[in-house]
Amino acid sequence: MMSVKELNPELQSNLPGVSIETGFDTNDLVVNIGPQHPSTHGVLRLVTTLNGEVVKEMEPVIGYLHRSKEKMGESRSLFQYQPTIDRVEYLSSFYDHLVFVNCIEQIADIPVPKRVEYIRVICLELNRITSHLLWFGTFLLDLGASTPFFWCFRDREEVFTIFENLTGARMMYNYFRFGGVNNDLPAGWLEEVRAFCNHFPDRLDEYEAVATKNPIVMDRTKGHGIMSKEFCLKYGVTGPALRATGEALDLRKTNPYSVYNELDFDVPTHTGCDTYARYLVRVQEMRESIKIIKQCIDKIPGGDGGALAILKKEVEAKTKEAKKNPEIVVPPWDKDWDTMGKKINLLTYKPPAGEASNFVESPRGVLGCYIITDGTPKAYRIKWRGASFSNLSALPELMKGHMYSDLMAIFGSLDVIMPEVDR
Amino acid sequence: MNEENKSPEQAPETEVIEATPAIPAGMFGALLESKGIAAEHLGNDAKGTEIIRLTAEAILKAGELLKGDASSKLDMLLLVTGIDWKTHRESVYHLYSTVHYHSLIIKIVADANDTSPSLYPVWPAADWHEREAYDLMGIHYEGHPDLRRILMPTYWLGHPLRKDYKEEDPRLVWNRR
Repeated sequence: MMSVKELNPELQSNLPGVSIETGFDTNDLVVNIGPQHPSTHGVLRLVTTLNGEVVKEMEPVIGYLHRSKEKMGESRSLFQYQPTIDRVEYLSSFYDHLVFVNCIEQIADIPVPKRVEYIRVICLELNRITSHLLWFGTFLLDLGASTPFFWCFRDREEVFTIFENLTGARMMYNYFRFGGVNNDLPAGWLEEVRAFCNHFPDRLDEYEAVATKNPIVMDRTKGHGIMSKEFCLKYGVTGPALRATGEALDLRKTNPYSVYNELDFDVPTHTGCDTYARYLVRVQEMRESIKIIKQCIDKIPGGDGGALAILKKEVEAKTKEAKKNPEIVVPPWDKDWDTMGKKINLLTYKPPAGEASNFVESPRGVLGCYIITDGTPKAYRIKWRGASFSNLSALPELMKGHMYSDLMAIFGSLDVIMPEVDR
Repeated sequence: MNEENKSPEQAPETEVIEATPAIPAGMFGALLESKGIAAEHLGNDAKGTEIIRLTAEAILKAGELLKGDASSKLDMLLLVTGIDWKTHRESVYHLYSTVHYHSLIIKIVADANDTSPSLYPVWPAADWHEREAYDLMGIHYEGHPDLRRILMPTYWLGHPLRKDYKEEDPRLVWNRR
C-alpha cells in the first residue's frame, strides 16, 4: 500500500490548506463518476481510483456523445452538412461555421467582403461572451454558488435575443455562407448590440464583486490544478488554460484571421497557472470581447442594415433603369458593403479539389477544421479539432494527487464541453 | 489503375513528381534536407501551410529535429487525421510552434498492413489523437503505449471512417428490418 506522499511527492506541496494524514493506509477504491453526472457538462465518465480521498488514477471514458460528424460530412453535400456543424460545439457554434467556411473559401478562392468579416467578428465575440457566461455560471455552480448561474443565464438570454433577431435561431445559427453571410443585418441590430455592450461591463463588475474576491471561491481555486506551460504543450492544451500559464498564445493576435489585425485588443494572461488564474483570464476575456465588438460597430463598412438595405434597393433599381436611359445617375455602391463575395448556387456547388486546414481561437482554445475536397459536392474528408478533446486528455495527470472534492472545480476550470470532444 | 478508380490523392502526387523542380523546398523541408533527412515536398495547402511527406523510418528523427531546432520549434501537436485513400491509408499531423507561431503539415503513408510509426515519443499529445485515428480509420500506430478504441464502444467491429465500411453489424437494430 502506497502512502499519499509516495504517490506524488511533488503535488503534495501544491495543496495549500489541505493536510493529508499519511500515517495510515487506506484501500484503493474505484469510483465511477458519470456518465450522467451533473457537473461533467455532458456525458463524460471518469473511472477514478481513489486512495482515501486522493485521486490516484483517473481514466476518462468518452464517446457517449459521438454523433459521427466526420462521417456525416462525407455523405452529404457541403451545403447539406452546414446545419449539422452547429452541433459540433453548440455553445459557440459560430466558430465551427467560421473554420468550415474559411476552409472552403480558401480552397475555392472565394473573396469575402469587408462588411461580412465585421459581421462575423461581432457574432464571434458575442458568442465568446455567451460561452464564457455559461462557463462562469456553471463553474460557480460546481463550487456551490447557485445564484450566479441565473444571473449569467439572464445575460445569455439577452445575447440570444440579439442572435435570434439576426439569424432566426437562438443557438443553432447556420448563418455563415461560403464568401458571405446568409442575410444582412436587420435595421437597428447594431444599436441592440451597442446597448448590450454598454450595460454588460457593469453587470460583469457585479458578478466579479460577488465571486472574484470571495474567500470560498479563492480557497477552492487558488493553488489547485496547477498546469505549467510545459504540461500544456505536452497535452496540446490551448485557450484560456494555456494563457493562464503566462503564454500569450491567442491565434487572433499571433496568426490573425478575418479582420482581427485591424482591431485593437489585448490578450489577457496570468502567471498563476492554477484554477483561479484560468478564472481570471476568462473573465478578462469577456471584457476584451466587448472592446472588440464596440470597435467593430464603429468600423463596420456600410453601417447599420436599415439604411443600407434601402440604398441597395435604390442602386439595383437605378442600375436597371440606367441600362435603358444612360442619363440616370446610379448612387455609389462600395463592394465592401456586399454580404456575398461571389454568387454561388449552394445546392449544386462543387469546390475544386484541394485541401485546407484552418485554426481559430474559440472560447475553449484552438478549434480547427481540416477539409479535403475532390471536386464533388461532398467533401472527401472532414476532420474537426475540438479544443476540449485535447484539454480533457490532460485531466488524468492534472488530477493525480488532488483531493476528490477538487475534481469538479479543476475540471470546470478547463471548460470542457462534451459534444466537441466526441463530435 | 484505370481512370475512374484513380483516387484524388493520385492526381496531385503525379503532378508533384513531374513538377519537382517547380515546388521548392519550403522552410521546414530545407531544414530537414540540411540535416540529411529526405522529405517529399508537396507544396502548400490552400491557406499556405507547408506540407511535407516523410517516410516511416525518418519520421521520429525528423520529429525530434523539428521540435528541438531553434528555427522551427514545432512544440505543439494540434491534430492527427487518418485519411483513407482507398489504396492506402495516410496519417496527417498538424504541428504548431508556440515560439514562432508557424505551422507545418506532415503526411505519413501507412504500409500495406496499415501500420505507421507513432509520434507519441516526440509529441505526447498524439496519445488521444492517434487512438482516435486507430478507432475510426484502423491505422495501427507502432510505439503507441495504449492503442485502444476511444470514441466507439470497445466491442465495435470495423473502422467506421473507412471508405469501404458497411453498416452490416447484425447487432444494429436497423439492419434487422
